[in-house]
Amino acid sequence: MAVQRILLYPNPILKRMCRTVERIDAEILQLVEDLVDTMEAGPGSVGVAAPQIGVSLRVCVVDVSNSRHGKDNNHGRLLMINPEIVASSGNAVMREGCMSVPDYTGDVERATEITLRFSEPDGTLREFVASGFEAVAIQHEMDHLDGLLFLDRISSLKTGLFRRKSYK
Amino acid sequence: MNACRKAGLAHFALTIIGKDRPGIVADTAEVLFKLGCNVEDSSCTMLGGEFATILIISHEKPFSKKQLEVEFAAKTAGGGLSAFIRTLKDDEVCYQEPTGELCLVSVYGSDKPGIVFRITRELADRGVNITDLNTKLIGSPAEPVYVLMLEAALPQEMSVEQVSQLLENLKKELSVEISVRLITPVSL
Repeated sequence: MAVQRILLYPNPILKRMCRTVERIDAEILQLVEDLVDTMEAGPGSVGVAAPQIGVSLRVCVVDVSNSRHGKDNNHGRLLMINPEIVASSGNAVMREGCMSVPDYTGDVERATEITLRFSEPDGTLREFVASGFEAVAIQHEMDHLDGLLFLDRISSLKTGLFRRKSYK
Repeated sequence: MNACRKAGLAHFALTIIGKDRPGIVADTAEVLFKLGCNVEDSSCTMLGGEFATILIISHEKPFSKKQLEVEFAAKTAGGGLSAFIRTLKDDEVCYQEPTGELCLVSVYGSDKPGIVFRITRELADRGVNITDLNTKLIGSPAEPVYVLMLEAALPQEMSVEQVSQLLENLKKELSVEISVRLITPVSL
């Protein structure tokens, strides 16, 4: 059990592009375990990415199976090393919050369906289609691996609907 | 929201409204910056041809409303802008954020008197707390359409379905479309 402290913005690690994992060794396995422990310790947390605990590597974990939005549509606990989205479609807006940016939320547009490819901790390459809230959570965690926060993706002002119309 | 770090600060609510032009925010922010005030929270938007700014500002104590009034009186002297300043008490600054579900209610239909009133009264009587609200008159002069969008925090035990049910009767009575959906943020 090694729950790590979640880093908060403006910690610069959160804005850095993470390195690809070249070899899955004991250190990586420990990292995956720490990510899972940290996710389980966070109240209502459905995912944690390595940079959030200070490690600039392309590793993240997601598990929406206990959340109200994801409990009926999920692939269980995902331990993702070098995850990639190879195809995506659809879009929907959800109001997101992030443990690394407390006290603020924003509407973010994400693909509703993604084809995901990643390595499991045992080296197996896995590929499947995720949708709904699980897809949103995966995209949110994968953004961390590219140094992106939801603040980089807020789709519009809350009042955006009205702002497109010009005054006459 | 961690409100307790705000001890030792004097807080004020500042509203400024005037005919829209470039520079209202910059002029306001300049005054505040020079006085050493922090903008803690703010919302500024165009309403009709007016630009409205609402700000919660703070300054290390001691600091009086008078100092703000003097500066803004000078800024608004030329006309066109009006400013209002209110001192906030500690219990207004250290508030409890709503904890229930957050929902978005959208209402639209042919314009008629009473849309805002009837909808918001229905919600208020059930303890639903509006956190954000926008209305707009759209459509053509011959067929004006009223649009109302609001976000509201529900009381602890109330569901989005119950809010939908609550507003169902008003759909017919006001002949408007009403939809309610859950927008409680997801924590990732």
